[in-house]
Amino acid sequence: MLREFETKGRDLFGGEPDAEVRRQRNTTRSISLVQGDLHANDRSETAGVSARVIRGGVAGFASTADLSEESVGTVLREAQKNAAFLDGQVSLGKPALPSAARGAFRMTREPGDPEQKAYIEFARAVDEYVVKNCPKLVSRRLVFRADCMEKVLTVPGGTDAHTFLPRCYLYLFFTANTPDGVPVDLFTALGGYGSFDQLFRDPKDVFPEVDLLYGKLLAKTEGVRPEAGLKTCILGGSLAGMLAHEAVGHTVEADLVIGGSVAGPMLGRVVASPLVSLVDFAHSAFGRAAPLPVYVDDEGTPAVDAEIIRDGILVGYLNNRDTAVRFGMKPQGNARAYAPSDEPLIRMRNTAILPGHSRLSDMIASVEDGYYLTDTGNGQADTTGEFMFGISMGYEIKNGKLGRALLDTTISGVAFEMLKTVDMVSDTVTWSSSGFCGKKQPMPVGLGGPELRCKLLMGGR
Amino acid sequence: MTDLKKLAAECLAKLRAAGADTAQARLSLSEKREFNIDGGEFSLFRTTFNRSLTLIAFRETKTGSVVVNSFDPDAINRAISDCMRSVESDSPDPARGIAAYQGERELVYGEPEPDAEKFFAATKRLKADIEERYPTIMMEQMINSHDKTESVYADTNGNLFHMLYGSYGVGLMFSAHRDGKSSSFMGCEYDTVDLDTPLIEQGDIARVLSDVERQIDTVPVEGSFTGTVIFAPDCLGGLLRTAIGCFASGTPLIDGTSVWRDKLGQAVASPGFTLSLAPHHPDAILRQQLTGDGYLTEDFDLIRNGILESFVAGIYVSNKAGVPRSKNTATGWLVMPEGDRSLDELIAGVKDGLFVYRFSGGHPANNGDFSGVAKNSFRIRDGKLADAVSETMISGNLADMLLSFEGASRERVKDGYSVLPFAAFSGITISGK
Repeated sequence: MLREFETKGRDLFGGEPDAEVRRQRNTTRSISLVQGDLHANDRSETAGVSARVIRGGVAGFASTADLSEESVGTVLREAQKNAAFLDGQVSLGKPALPSAARGAFRMTREPGDPEQKAYIEFARAVDEYVVKNCPKLVSRRLVFRADCMEKVLTVPGGTDAHTFLPRCYLYLFFTANTPDGVPVDLFTALGGYGSFDQLFRDPKDVFPEVDLLYGKLLAKTEGVRPEAGLKTCILGGSLAGMLAHEAVGHTVEADLVIGGSVAGPMLGRVVASPLVSLVDFAHSAFGRAAPLPVYVDDEGTPAVDAEIIRDGILVGYLNNRDTAVRFGMKPQGNARAYAPSDEPLIRMRNTAILPGHSRLSDMIASVEDGYYLTDTGNGQADTTGEFMFGISMGYEIKNGKLGRALLDTTISGVAFEMLKTVDMVSDTVTWSSSGFCGKKQPMPVGLGGPELRCKLLMGGR
Repeated sequence: MTDLKKLAAECLAKLRAAGADTAQARLSLSEKREFNIDGGEFSLFRTTFNRSLTLIAFRETKTGSVVVNSFDPDAINRAISDCMRSVESDSPDPARGIAAYQGERELVYGEPEPDAEKFFAATKRLKADIEERYPTIMMEQMINSHDKTESVYADTNGNLFHMLYGSYGVGLMFSAHRDGKSSSFMGCEYDTVDLDTPLIEQGDIARVLSDVERQIDTVPVEGSFTGTVIFAPDCLGGLLRTAIGCFASGTPLIDGTSVWRDKLGQAVASPGFTLSLAPHHPDAILRQQLTGDGYLTEDFDLIRNGILESFVAGIYVSNKAGVPRSKNTATGWLVMPEGDRSLDELIAGVKDGLFVYRFSGGHPANNGDFSGVAKNSFRIRDGKLADAVSETMISGNLADMLLSFEGASRERVKDGYSVLPFAAFSGITISGK
């Protein structure tokens, strides 16, 4: 643990006006049971200290895998040297950035860190239940993954912080054959913010989720391919969350706006139906803790919610201190680094489309011929807002009623066009947080949304 | 200087003393020097110094592994203790094992020592070349770095391999913009040891930049049809790696869900299709020298003239699935022979189809079904590249696709790892709005 470093190192900055030092420790615990055999049984820990110095609008950064006081001095000097080199080469001549609010934020509760045995025994108990109760599976894989980022941030011109971001998930991957003998698969992720001992007390708690996944998979083995083309769809909450993150959130990250994203010329303009509002939540949402709360970012900026779309109008970007100056906005705590050797980048925290007032049952009843898409395994989008999401589970809707399940397919669209077709928004938000966002560095993020009725391009065969 | 060999020997001795029957130790020291350009301007100079220690222990065929980035004696003792506790929590599985004795080796490759100032000058010139030659290109990000690693692999069977390597990596993300319109973003990356040849003349950067400038104005594909798709090398590599993951390696072989499970020695692709895993190819800058089990690697043909010659299997998958162990597990090092015609001739042979630079799709199902968006792509009509397309999806089955291989170009792209041509496959569903 890094508690001993909370108050150390402030005297090492030596008058450097714009710098930060971050001591960090990342841990990962994982096990993987394939067909009952333990394929992975791994523990990893990466610790180190980094420094970033900003001069004339460019940054020098250095890190080392050592937490000592001596190392802090070493990385600070190296970062200063790097900043001086680059500043001397490119001479952008930008003025110093405004400081963030001075203060300190320290989390006191340290997450638990059980031994591998705890994960293995829990997974074996669930696996035993799967074997007994899911006879048609041809393959099963159970994976536990727990990770935690602990950071101690020291910033002369900002808020010092000591934070933990622990997550723990049990992933269930099931495969069964169609009547033609073709394997189809489906997975679910259970867990969330916190450590194993907080989230997984009794294997029996997981059994209903096993039954649910198995039931959906069996329906999928009887599934059909959707018709390709533009269709009326109800996008499930996890897919709406992915849309919020991949197809909208990335386009409003200010570094990508500068790089030419579609959101650049759209500020203040209509980008979605008036039923759509979208927020990147910092640490709480809808009166509860957000899935992966961020309290202070890695530039020392206290984290607050960032409003992105209000009633269909694009109203804001996600910024770090530098881009906030450029766009005349306030930094809201979106500068985040993943590894001890990573510099802070503009990242999302907990990005969600806000709920509306429709009931899911009414939304389904309103569709004459379309699809209800519930599960996704992956998604991508680019800075034009064009997105692609893999659909791992969904259903036909015929005459207002759910029909046959779907085989794997893909949907695509352009976010700021597709969001204008949204004409119903459900009253319930579904969050997910088990994956990583990728943008030079990985980053744990939360994403969420309600069901959306909209028009989408379905892939098919 | 840390003596990695000595430290590895000490770790193995401690693991033995703690009860391990066999064990592996991997230690590395790495340095990175990286220049970033964001939004067209230099933004960051980053240097990182890291180390890594991986310990894997086996006792009565039970195993556990620990990774830490500290060589501090207390940290190592904790890691050994953690590792052995993990071993004890495991169940026996006789399929596990480590490499047999092969001896000691000193392996130096790539360009371990960086010339940071020369590399910065080359990066600056690349930025200037792009700005001058491709005026509509907006550089979202360029990340150029030199990475140096010294590593040691040692195990209780007596293997001891010391490696020193490094290379310059060039990575670009960009899009083209004109009159308020833009192309999709596109990325290019490669590794090199050559700072004398301008960076813009290496990899496939110049071709891709030029073609992305032609993708600002796009036309949607109307309806749906079955046609031929020519995949650019980088995109082709991604699809081939996915096919290997679905059919030729890992869990699908063990649980029997691979559709190639019983196809060794049989046709799985068109007769003209050959694919090698070649980490020692002369154009490979960095190399997979060792498998995870500790075996020194050799190149091999995965598919030769359409016939499946091998799976990609280490000791565990080999024993568990009952398939031969492969000579490497280097799916990042794909090599296809050059084709018998130029890229223009390859395009000329397509009546109606697509030329695809980038495929934005999810991981296919185990059966190989795929669908996704064709990004940065052109329509091919009557043997000629036509309009760039938008909102166009392609779908098919990876196993079927390899059986519908139509040919490859003479031109191949070298990215420091793979050497791949442009390749055409028929029978792919192409659908628009």
